[in-house]
Amino acid sequence: MSPEQTNLLQGTLDMVILNALRLGEMHGLGISRRIEQISQGTFVVKSGSLFPALRRMQEEGWISSAWGESETNRKAKYYRLTKAGVKQLEEETAKWERIVLGISRALEAS
Amino acid sequence: MTKKRKLRWLSRAVSFFRNVAGNQRDELDIAAEVSAHLDLLIEEKLRSGMKPDEAEREARIELGGVEQVKEQVRDARAGAWLDALVRDCRFALRMSRKNSGFTAIVVLTLALGIAANTTVLSWISATLLNPIPGAAHTSDLVTVDRGDRSKIATPPFSYPDVRDLSEGTQTFSGILGWHDDYMSLTGVAKPERIYGALTTASYFDVLGVRPILGRAFLPEEGTPGAGAAVIVIGYAVWQNHFAGDPQIVGKTIQINRHPYTVIGVAPRDFTGCRTGIRTDLWIPLSMDRDVWGSNRPDYRSVVWLNVIGRLRPGVTKNQAEAELNLLMQRIVKRFPEDHQDRSNELSLDPLWRSPFGLNGRLYKVLPMLLGLAGVLLLLACANVASLLLVRSVGRRREIAIRLGMGASRKQIIRQFLIESLLLGLLGGTAAIAITVWTSRSIVAFFPPSSLPLTHDEHIDQRVLFVTIAVSILAAIISGVLPALRSSSLPVQSVLKEEATSVSLTLHKSRLLSGLVVAQISLSLVLLVCAGLFTRSLQKAQQSDPGFEASHLLLASYELSPAGYTRATGPAFDRQVLDRLSALPGVESVTLADFSPLSFSIHSDYLQIEGYVPQPHEWMEISRAIVGPNYFRTLRTSVISGREFTAADTAESQLVAVVNQAFVDRYWPGENAIGKQVTDSGARFTVVGVARNARYRSLTSPTEPVIYLPMYQSFRPTMDTVLHLRTTGDPRAMASSVEETIHQLNRELPLFNVNPLSVTMQLGTLFGRIAATFAGSFGLLAMLLAAVGIYGVVAYSTRQRAREIGIRMALGAEKGGIYRLVLGQGFKLTLAGLVVGTALAVAFTRLLKAQLFGVSETDAITFASVGLLLAVVALVACHIPARRATRVDPMVALRHE
Repeated sequence: MSPEQTNLLQGTLDMVILNALRLGEMHGLGISRRIEQISQGTFVVKSGSLFPALRRMQEEGWISSAWGESETNRKAKYYRLTKAGVKQLEEETAKWERIVLGISRALEAS
Repeated sequence: MTKKRKLRWLSRAVSFFRNVAGNQRDELDIAAEVSAHLDLLIEEKLRSGMKPDEAEREARIELGGVEQVKEQVRDARAGAWLDALVRDCRFALRMSRKNSGFTAIVVLTLALGIAANTTVLSWISATLLNPIPGAAHTSDLVTVDRGDRSKIATPPFSYPDVRDLSEGTQTFSGILGWHDDYMSLTGVAKPERIYGALTTASYFDVLGVRPILGRAFLPEEGTPGAGAAVIVIGYAVWQNHFAGDPQIVGKTIQINRHPYTVIGVAPRDFTGCRTGIRTDLWIPLSMDRDVWGSNRPDYRSVVWLNVIGRLRPGVTKNQAEAELNLLMQRIVKRFPEDHQDRSNELSLDPLWRSPFGLNGRLYKVLPMLLGLAGVLLLLACANVASLLLVRSVGRRREIAIRLGMGASRKQIIRQFLIESLLLGLLGGTAAIAITVWTSRSIVAFFPPSSLPLTHDEHIDQRVLFVTIAVSILAAIISGVLPALRSSSLPVQSVLKEEATSVSLTLHKSRLLSGLVVAQISLSLVLLVCAGLFTRSLQKAQQSDPGFEASHLLLASYELSPAGYTRATGPAFDRQVLDRLSALPGVESVTLADFSPLSFSIHSDYLQIEGYVPQPHEWMEISRAIVGPNYFRTLRTSVISGREFTAADTAESQLVAVVNQAFVDRYWPGENAIGKQVTDSGARFTVVGVARNARYRSLTSPTEPVIYLPMYQSFRPTMDTVLHLRTTGDPRAMASSVEETIHQLNRELPLFNVNPLSVTMQLGTLFGRIAATFAGSFGLLAMLLAAVGIYGVVAYSTRQRAREIGIRMALGAEKGGIYRLVLGQGFKLTLAGLVVGTALAVAFTRLLKAQLFGVSETDAITFASVGLLLAVVALVACHIPARRATRVDPMVALRHE
């Protein structure tokens, strides 16, 4: 892991994954590449974190999955957001923005 | 928000069940996804221009291990913990099957420890906790007793007093009174003695017992003078004598040759109010004259009823006691002359220590036995803990590897605890199987006797529940130390070093030594208790009862149900005595209205010439009605004067014999011969003084007894007990005695034909229960401790094989090695004995009241138990010590 890479904050992984899925269905590798790309390499999601998170969110009912084929005709499992997932993402984002706002105000104040 | 929460919870719950149910498919799906992911990664690397093998390597590094990822996904699943649990259980099962010998020993040890507890508990549950089977809410019921519990267990109340108390009370919802004794079911082919009770009409209502057929008594049926000849019969009587006749209600049956209309049948499990003694018939007490020919309900001065009351909800025992005493004082004030003989202080007791029935004694004996069983279980736990600890050393590499592979400390502890839980539950299951058998064993202590003893044998839910709880507790106690120890291994060094490294076992062996010391000291405690109880029982059995029990045959009959009267009875008795004394093998023969040490002696209220009773001194004194030659036959010597002869008849002067304790108590320093005693209005002149004999208990102090001659004080309603002194085995005479009686009267049933030495076992019932169980607990404890010390010394000798090898290579002698190993065991034993002695001194203080003729710090018991344990421990250490001397230095050194 290069020095610029950072581990995601506890509890934010779900939000980042859900956000990545907003644009459409995607397989595991796609999700992790998308996150790297959006965060410009700051965040790297390891498989050992990604798949358990996908599994958990699926059990929560936020995402659904189906087997499909990749661009290169390989078998892959695709994930998509459910309605509940969209709602969850909105809530998480709103909560996150409140936190960020709070923290930056606190930092500015000092 | 809450709705959403609910949905999430639901979604997760659905997944939980899917995960638990469909594991196989899910497993394949996870595998497929991870391998597809790996393929995609490789493809990506290839496209960026890597060589195939490089691409695969990089992809695998990025993935971070196929199995690990799969494991992490599994852990994220709902119900992952359950999965892990199932896995741990499977592993535990596999381990226990693999080491089946080890498992068997541990399970057996735990099973014995647990079974000891559940056995005692099953008795407690059947007696103290279930004092009146079939009655509702027995916790609201209390016994009412009068005065300090006198040694003579006469029922304490008169009927008018019971009636006034139950009419006046606000704190009780109901009060019942009863008097029980043998009755005879007559008018049938073969008359039979059945234990029955005369009761107040409130009896069944207060107990909350509803007849399964018919009804209970109506209030007016219990009113003296206006009562009705009705009867409620017990389930057993209904089944055995009336073949379960569904039309029995309304039919007429005969009791003591008087007709009664059956109005109800009691439920199967209800056998009256005396714990452990079964009653099978209930008649309103207004029928006293018909049943026993007396009219006791009319008199306030005649006490004959036992009383139980049901507290109103929310009323405490103390409030009720205060109110009842107030009511009693008012009654005493109105009728002072009827209450001057006995203390009028009333006291209430919960049924678990009810003075009526077995509970009065069992409530002291059983909790003590439970304490001993608890000690035994603790010892079994220490034993199992040391076994597990020794085994965990053998498993050190396995644990180190698992820790190295990334298992957390928590997982290792969980694994160990699940293994010991499994052992504990197996032990508990075995214990229940043992208890099914041992819970009945209390019955084996009941000798054939005149008392209708009964014991509820089934194991109830309470016992099952506690067994499971105790198994889990035992598993945790014995498993937690090895689990904690094993999970804190320094992984690196274990993997690097050989399995038999010395440094690692050092602190562990200190723990092991502690466990051995604990086992020895606990077994010392149990053995000391066992020794004390055994010696106490021996003392009781060897104590001189004042009569000679061997070669005495007893046989009983009852004259009144057979139609004999005050006029014809004595003549029949005379004939019996004449015929029996002519039998070959009979040395002498007599009869009495009781037999020694079987709770059958009666008592009478006496007035004694020249003695002024203290205020409220209860002058009810043991009274024996005996035939001619009683003292000669029983070999109780007459100190002065004479004993009864056939010439003491209704026509001659009324005479009595008293015992030495009677003289000491009422006429100290005086000559008793010629003094007069009044019993029920008749004046008897003392013609003899007999040696003291114990008729109630071998262990209580001798009490005053008055003897009256059979032919002067004849009562047809009493039991007649024949006493035959035989030259040979009394049992062998039984059939010829029966034949002789039947020659005189074919219809007269003879019962309780037994040697006195057998029936008087009832007098030592509680002592035998305590000695037997403490004894078996003690032996078991010794065995466990021996196995424990053997195991630990053998183990540490194996650990030191290398050291011993070196010593021998350096020229140590075999004797030295032997002493080295034996010395280690001896040190542990000594420490255990010291600790154990201190514990035992503290523990046996609690037994003081239960011991007879032996001090609770009896030096002989302590010394012999200590010596015994020391010898057993040394023998147990001898085996590994011998083995150590045979260590081949070459083999031991090369082994490393």
